[in-house]
Amino acid sequence: MSEPSAEWTPDHGASAERTRLAWRRTALSAGVVVLLAARPAFDPDAGPGLWITAALCGAGWSALVALAYRRARALRRRPPHPGRRSITAYAFVTVGLAALAGVIVML
Amino acid sequence: MFGGLRQWIDPEKTPTVGRTPDYRFSLANERTFLAWIRTGLALIAGGLGCAQFLPPLPIAYLREVIAVALLVLGGLVALRAVDHWARTERAMRLGEELPGSRFPAFLAVIVALGALLLIVAVLLQSPR
Repeated sequence: MSEPSAEWTPDHGASAERTRLAWRRTALSAGVVVLLAARPAFDPDAGPGLWITAALCGAGWSALVALAYRRARALRRRPPHPGRRSITAYAFVTVGLAALAGVIVML
Repeated sequence: MFGGLRQWIDPEKTPTVGRTPDYRFSLANERTFLAWIRTGLALIAGGLGCAQFLPPLPIAYLREVIAVALLVLGGLVALRAVDHWARTERAMRLGEELPGSRFPAFLAVIVALGALLLIVAVLLQSPR
């Protein structure tokens, strides 16, 4: 299935490029979430709970950036494979960020 | 939703009868997924922003409730995004009709209700 099939229409990478940009954009949006999540940790009365959750959010963001980078590299193949695990992992890390954000709101 | 759980992890394995669709359709499906993820991330950012930047509202804990509701909605959007992506991928492989979804309408109604709630809260606060 990695073989370019007979009906493979080359589109000179336009859709792969758009997809790559979409991955980058998504990782950048996640950056906003992480900045907001880290903000309370810089409060003078912030406790270790906030520090740890903010650090975990940062780790989650690193994971998202790494996944986006990995997928963007995989898109360089022609024709690119449909995404698989990176996509699922991305969704689950996003859910994890939501859960951590919930902890930050409660603390 | 959970019948397709294996498909989330390996959508290429499950439908052995199917064939790899035109990669441009797969990539379009992937971009739709990413757009939904961005929607979810925006909701999460909104939840964090509510908790950090709203003044205490007239109803006790309303601010926290709104924030947590937005966060839950954001997580739900991300889960639904991966489910919808996997089902679309599968439908494309099998040459079936693409799956429809009521989720966008549901999300719109929930967000509109939340906005109404906030308007009520602001109106309650302003006479002071």
